[in-house]
Parts: sequence; C-alpha cells; structure tokens
Amino acid sequence: MMRAGPSQEEIRRHNLGTLLRYIHLHGPTSRTVLADRLGLNRSTIMALTAELTGAGLVREKLPSETGRAGRPSLVVRPESTRFYVLAFDVGVDRLAAARVGLGGVILDRREAVRERNGFDLDEVVATLAGFARQMLRKADADTVCVGAGAAFCGVVRRGDGLVRFGPNIGQTEVPFGAALTRELDLGMTVSVANDANLGALAEHQRGIGTRCQDLIYLHGDVGIGGGIIVGGRLLGGEGGYGGEVGHMVVNPRGRACGCGSAGCLEAEVGERALLSAAGREMSEDLIGRDAIRAIVDAAERGDVLARDALHRVGDWLGFGVSNLVNIFNPEMVIFGGILREIYLSSAAQVRSRLKTNTMAAAREGLRLRTSDLGDDATLVGAAELAFTEVLTNPLEVLTRAVAAG
Amino acid sequence: MPATPVLELRRLNKSFGPVQVLHDVSFSAEAGEVTALVGDNGAGKSTLVKCIGGIHPIDSGDYLFEGAPVHVNSPRDAAGLGVEIVYQDLALADNLDIVQNMFLGRERKRGLVLDEATMEEMAAKTLTGLSVRTVHSVRQQVSSLSGGQRQTVAIAKAVLWNSKVVVLDEPTAALGVAQTQQVLELVRRLADKGLAVVLISHNLNDVFAVSDRIAALYLGRMAAQVRTSDVTHAQVVELITSGRSGELGLANGDGLNGVKA
Repeated sequence: MMRAGPSQEEIRRHNLGTLLRYIHLHGPTSRTVLADRLGLNRSTIMALTAELTGAGLVREKLPSETGRAGRPSLVVRPESTRFYVLAFDVGVDRLAAARVGLGGVILDRREAVRERNGFDLDEVVATLAGFARQMLRKADADTVCVGAGAAFCGVVRRGDGLVRFGPNIGQTEVPFGAALTRELDLGMTVSVANDANLGALAEHQRGIGTRCQDLIYLHGDVGIGGGIIVGGRLLGGEGGYGGEVGHMVVNPRGRACGCGSAGCLEAEVGERALLSAAGREMSEDLIGRDAIRAIVDAAERGDVLARDALHRVGDWLGFGVSNLVNIFNPEMVIFGGILREIYLSSAAQVRSRLKTNTMAAAREGLRLRTSDLGDDATLVGAAELAFTEVLTNPLEVLTRAVAAG
Repeated sequence: MPATPVLELRRLNKSFGPVQVLHDVSFSAEAGEVTALVGDNGAGKSTLVKCIGGIHPIDSGDYLFEGAPVHVNSPRDAAGLGVEIVYQDLALADNLDIVQNMFLGRERKRGLVLDEATMEEMAAKTLTGLSVRTVHSVRQQVSSLSGGQRQTVAIAKAVLWNSKVVVLDEPTAALGVAQTQQVLELVRRLADKGLAVVLISHNLNDVFAVSDRIAALYLGRMAAQVRTSDVTHAQVVELITSGRSGELGLANGDGLNGVKA
C-alpha cells in the first residue's frame, strides 16, 4: 500500500525541530525573522514557540530596542543554561570533555593530556566519565542533559560507535561507544563519530564555513583526517567510514603508512613525515603543535633542512588538496589541527600545486581557509552530534531525558 | 559582469624631480579580497601606497573610488573616503591604552567630556568582531603589548572607522611564528568581512596563504595583476625579479612594456 503523506503530527514535530534547530544555530531570533526564514506563517510560529516555551526549551522576550516604529516582534532565545549535552573528544594527544548548552555555549570543560604509549580503553573511558561526573555535579539541579556525543580519532562504525580502526593509537575493533555509554550510565546512548567528520560539521554549522554548502575540512593530528560536506550534508558512505582523505595515496613510492598502505597523504604530510624530513625524529618532549612550530620557526631563521621539509610537506599537501578539488569542486577547504600551521607556512607550495594540478574551472571559486574553531572544532562537532536527536524530535527526547534524569 | 573595484588607479605616474618612480601604473582592489602588492626593493611599492594614502600627490593618472574619479591630496582625503593605511611603524602611542589609541584624534564626546563608555564598547566590539582573543583588556597600555598584539590593535584601529580599503604595509615583518600566523588569519578575516585589503609583503608564502590576487611591481611598472590561484610561486618570483614570466608580465624584460627607449 502506498503510504499517505506525512500526518499533521509528523509535520508539527518536524516544524518544532526545525525551529529549535534554527534558534540553536543562529541564536536569539525574532518571530518575524523566524517566519521569514522557515517559510511558515506567523500564527504557526506562535503556536510552535508556545509549545517550545511550554517545554522550557526557549524563552520569549521583548527586544531591548528595535529602533523602529510599531509593536516589536518577540525574540525567541534558547535556554542555554538549562538544557545541555555532554561532548567528548579522544585525540591522539588529549582527552577533552565539555558541557555544552543549547545554542552551542560551552558551559564547562575539562581536558587532560593523553600519553602516546598505547591505548587503554578502560582508562580512557574512566577519565572521560570522571570529567562528566565532575561537570554534572557542578550543574544546577533544574538542568537537563539531553544527549551525549563523542569525537574519536579513528574509523568509527555508524550506529554503535565501534572504533573499527585507529591507526595512530594502534587499535582495532574498540567498543568505545558501548563502553562510554555503560560507564556514564545516564540512560542514553553516547553517539560516536570520527573526529575530523565532526570537525567538518562544526566548521559548517558554527565556524568559517557557515555559508558554504560544499566544503572539505582537513584535520591534522598525528594523522590526517577529513570530513567532506556535499550539498550541506556530511558524506558518510555506506558504513560511515567516508571522508578518510588521509589515506588517499598521493605518492605510490612513498613512506609506509600506519594503515598498512604506503604514500598516503597522512604518511607524507602528517607530523611524523614533517619531523623526519626535518631530521627531527620523534622526541618525547617536543611533539604535536610545539614540534611543528619549532620547525616553522627554524625555517624562518634560515634552517635549510627545516625549510626544505616544510616545502616538501606543502607540496604533498598540495597534491592531496588538488585531487579533492578536482573530485568535489568544493567552495572551501579548511585546514584544522596542526594543518593550520602547516598550511600557513607552506601555502606557496600548496597553491602552486593547485594551479598546476587542478582544472581551472574546479578551483575557480575555491577558498582556502584555516579553522575558525581551532582546537575546539572536534569537541564542538561532538556537541552538535549530541544535539542531533533533541533537534529532530524536541518534545519526545525531552520527556525521556527528564524521566531519566 | 565583474563588480566595480572599490579602489582603482589607472595609468598613474609619479616622479621625484628627475626620477620617475611610478610609470603608468594601474592597480585595483576589490571588496572581499586580499590583493597582495609585491615587488623588489625600490620597485615602487611604498610610493604607490603613499599615493593611495594621499601623502604623495600623483603627477598624472586617475584615482577612482567605487568607480568615481576622486582627488586625494592629503591623508585626510583618503581617510574621508574610507581608505586606511597601517604603516610598518604602526604609529601607536606607547603611553596610551588601546581605546585611547584607537580613537586618537577622533575621540567621541558627550557634551563637553569624552564618552569613554561608548569608546570602550566600540573598541571591544571591533576586537571581538575580528575574533581577536589575544588582547585581554582594552584598557591595557600599548607599551605592554607584544608585537603581534600591537599589529592587531593597529589593524583594528583602521577597521573601527567603517573603512572600505585597508592597506597593510608588511604586517608580519618582525613577528614570531605564532603571531605571524594570527595576523595572517586576521588579514584574511578583514577581507571575508567585506573590506578590500591590500597586503604589502616580501614574504611570498604569506602572500600565497591569504591573497586572492597578486599585483607585481617591477622597476616602477605594474608587471602583472593576476589571480593567485592562476600562478605558481616560481611565476611570481619571476615577475618580481624580471618583470615577466612566460606569457605574463611586461612585454620585454627591460620593464619598458614594449616601448623602445
């Protein structure tokens, strides 16, 4: 039997979610503007805001000043301090957690350095859950947690948050999502996704790419991750493993990669590649961003080895970005994590490659930018992931959360 | 149809006595773009900037602002149009704080007294609008700021006045790595906010990191003004050092653009 059109109830739920999402992403907005942006009439907007206000998700206030004649339109604001999500980030070098309010306000945060030797699931989960408990204790009694999300530096299965592969932590098949959900015991599942995918989402929704529907976010940690937004949607692929641009082969005779292949973008551009090209093999005390900065600094001071290393890495980065530009024709490519530093100090190489290796039409409207959210990109993305459900179906999720809390 | 450039100079000539420094130079800067001005020492970059800023009157040629011909005979004329220039020495007063520096000579008054509250709010708003997170208080003395922070304040000062064109003369010279990168991002953000930015730099990497177009001066002539995405580093080096690169640049390498001496 053919399914009938969406029911009244479904339409109402959809509209509630759309309105709440708009307020969540754009901040306080007047009813008039909402009606205009959402393409709904004013009485529908009024009914919807009344319902969201009733649930306590938003608050309506008269604007302080309008500077215009006539009765001012009420401004709808998100209740940022009452409704929040927990966001987590597992990077190679750090563990982070935050309590993020509706509207994207970071209310509280915790961070710890992660040692690079090995990966102990129980320890990581215990640290993150510990952070969460500290932050929950500090939260007021009438506040409600409406979701939890985590960014992980590995290949993550959609649905259950199983980390299939983490080349830079040397792990396979880690049931991270299940373990964190169990340890937190909040009566809700922790959604998990690849960190660079979430970084792309964050830059698209709250960062430098808010006006772009087609963008690629490249995240440099020890490895190179990527997130591809096409037509406003994150490219996930069949199992959610899409966008792993770090494992695009740019140099078939290149360096061995942690994934088992050779000459991957990650193997030629990542932290290890740069350090080894500059003759500075991994040392205990100088890793990550500081190590990259030291090389850029040395290059500025005339260290030819450091300069050559940056040029070489910039050149490979240029090859990688060229391939992406030819395939996806993005409006913007964003460099995040340590790729920010690498791009800014080897832009001449990157862009020379782009000129040589891309089709003029594909690069015509391209803008190369550094991340606006910086080191918070992945964490902010995790928060957005955690908000997904409540923004899809506000009232039902809220009822469930209040019951669980 | 391409938009009208905010700033356009056509066939500009400038001599100091018998020395002709700029020869038929055409140059334009568009809103939302960073236009890099590059050239060897003595190529005429500083003179061109001083002509834009109204410090040097031009001998001949057209100065167009938003498509209309204008006469710019003093820095005040330039500022009146919305053209701000941030010189290398920054011209900040060490003994004053950030707000006082940003409003120096253009203080806001409420009745007879200075409107400190409004000025402070505007200064803070401008810095926040540029996502400047490195400055903690707008009441900090400029003498206590680092090189990068000073550069930031000088740039913010230029933006405060609703300027349309901001010319930055070597903004990253003498800065460390981290600060250089912050200033580059700030330069990019200015253009993304809709200003026309002209960036003068010796560092081609900086130019490639943030520019949309590159204008290369060679011995007082405009060798080429090209889209950054259409050239390689090697081509720009050639334009700077010999005035041409393949099809680009002056017709013959002597900088005479086909004119026989």
